[in-house]
Amino acid sequence: MDGFKKRLSESVQLRLSVTLSLAILIVAIVAGIFAFVSAFDEAHEMQDDTLRQVAVLFDRQHMTLKYPQGKTITGDDEESRLTIQYLADGSQASGTDDDATPLPFPTTLADGLSTLNVGGEAFRVLVRTTARGERIAVAQETGARDKDARESAWRSLLPFLVLFPVLLLVVGDLVRKLFRPIAALSREIDQRAEQELHPIDENHLPTEIRPFVVAINRLLARVASAMETQRRFVADAAHELRSPLTALSLQAERLAAADMSPEAHERLVPLRRGIERGRNLIDQLLTLAKAHSDSGAPTSSVSVHAVYRQVLEDLLPLAEIKHLDIGVESTQDVQVLINETDLLTLVKNLVDNAIRYTPSGGRIDLSVTLEHGAALLQIKDSGPGIAPEERERVFDPFYRSLGTDEAGSGLGLSIVKAIADRNGARISLGDADEALKRGLCVSVRLPMDKR
Amino acid sequence: MTLAPFFSERDMRILLVEDDPMIGDAIHGALNDAGYAADWVKNGLTALSALETQHYDLVLLDLGLPGKDGLEVLARIRANNNPVPLLIITARDSLDDRLRGLDGGADDYLLKPFDIAELLARMRAVLRRKGGTALSVLDNGVVSLDLVSKEASTLEYPGVQLSAREFALLQALLIRPGAILSRSELEDRLYGWGNEVESNAVEFLIHALRRKLGSHVIKNVRGMGWMVSKNA
Repeated sequence: MDGFKKRLSESVQLRLSVTLSLAILIVAIVAGIFAFVSAFDEAHEMQDDTLRQVAVLFDRQHMTLKYPQGKTITGDDEESRLTIQYLADGSQASGTDDDATPLPFPTTLADGLSTLNVGGEAFRVLVRTTARGERIAVAQETGARDKDARESAWRSLLPFLVLFPVLLLVVGDLVRKLFRPIAALSREIDQRAEQELHPIDENHLPTEIRPFVVAINRLLARVASAMETQRRFVADAAHELRSPLTALSLQAERLAAADMSPEAHERLVPLRRGIERGRNLIDQLLTLAKAHSDSGAPTSSVSVHAVYRQVLEDLLPLAEIKHLDIGVESTQDVQVLINETDLLTLVKNLVDNAIRYTPSGGRIDLSVTLEHGAALLQIKDSGPGIAPEERERVFDPFYRSLGTDEAGSGLGLSIVKAIADRNGARISLGDADEALKRGLCVSVRLPMDKR
Repeated sequence: MTLAPFFSERDMRILLVEDDPMIGDAIHGALNDAGYAADWVKNGLTALSALETQHYDLVLLDLGLPGKDGLEVLARIRANNNPVPLLIITARDSLDDRLRGLDGGADDYLLKPFDIAELLARMRAVLRRKGGTALSVLDNGVVSLDLVSKEASTLEYPGVQLSAREFALLQALLIRPGAILSRSELEDRLYGWGNEVESNAVEFLIHALRRKLGSHVIKNVRGMGWMVSKNA
């Protein structure tokens, strides 16, 4: 019950439904009682009128009374029977039987209507003094009267009994329909990716929620601008760092050409490697910042094999140092609609990772196939792979697997993820060798051009 | 890529336009180390006035300059009908900037960060192109190909005579060391030579070249094609 109370206070829809239903119920009950009572009274009044009319008829027609002797007449019913008698005859009534005539009414009854108890049954009695000075009593058992009155009263209740459930259904349905745009809206917002900060469509929304949506849109705009500021800061910072590092690396290169002792030469090697690593990290930071911004819609389709070739041309020197057998498995090229720089950066980072983490003498295979209306790009290596529990986290910036001493930037997979998200591509990590649970297989599913 | 010297750095006067003092100092020093006579200016206006008063054989131009942007400086140089060879050195890596630079009359576009060796190689390439000197030897550090005598040389096998088709294939690969050429692209080069190409002609020629020059000379990239190394 507490749960219901909580839901009631939290849900406008439930509160509206319950309140409206209760209001309908109360109105129906009050109106029903009123209708019942008035119909009941009305019926009684009509019956009293009948008694009165009978008395008047008797008086006007100067009728005389003769009490029936024993025989029953067809159509006569004791329950609803009207009885006329001289009031004075009440004293010579045979007994307490309510079936006999005359009925034992007290002779002292005043003119007018009254309810009397005779022989255990209630009677409605009208006493009238006729023009000739006789006092007559017209009577009827109240049981029958009440039964008739009740029946007509119940009939007056019938419309309410039908209307109540119909109204409840109508109200429930109406309320649900009114709240449907809100449900649709929350679904739309829920399905958005974190970069999708475009404003919510205010059209087709009830005026009551529109101010709320406008406020949310303003918040979205503020969040988007804050994110843009942050992204630009990262890009600017990386850009600014680039100049001194370029200068450093140029000076170190000059130094290497200068005359110096073999020992100094030896020490220069790790120094230059460190500078190189810093330069690489800054480049990756810039790429990541760029990957998070909007690239604009791609204008033409790109050959995956051409991208593979360009990446291999760039990275083959690295692969050769480690004696890696790197190549393309698929024979059929696939065209995809994507920004070419995006695809290049994505594939380059994946292949770079594969080269980094595959031990000397290993093998790296690139392939592309068409699968269920999507281009499936796969990069498999014979390295140690990534443990299933780590597969979600490796996309976080600067995340590093335990036990790797590779000096990567830690941003490669974050860049890949950002580019994939931006292009509606899905990335999954698996084992290159399913049976041995070894080697990494990165699958990128790119939705195909719809045209 | 090392190339036979067709010109002497000693006589070359270079104008370096770079506003960053650290990078400018490093490049300036490196140019001097390489034997060029280099003048270093830090903004576009000084660069323009220097070009009016002095003859330069090559200009190294940074794009992000204070006051007058590098692209504006480039436009002014070309507007003055000054044909001086010009190489843009910049941190702006957008395709748009690159195209605007090259369309604006730059001879090459080098992205920061770069190595000095890369810069000097690009400078030599630009100077050679502008000087109209035809290249008679292709070389990637592993194998060199004499375009006149059609002889290929490696360290172990100097002066190997090649057949016309072997020569055509090796030349195609050596024009851009490091680039992968597919079978159909290589076949196109051989067709271009005016010969009918059999189905396995490319493999056959590569096999022959490897036998003559050593198997490391031409590298196979599985599923893609063949290449010669960029840097030995």
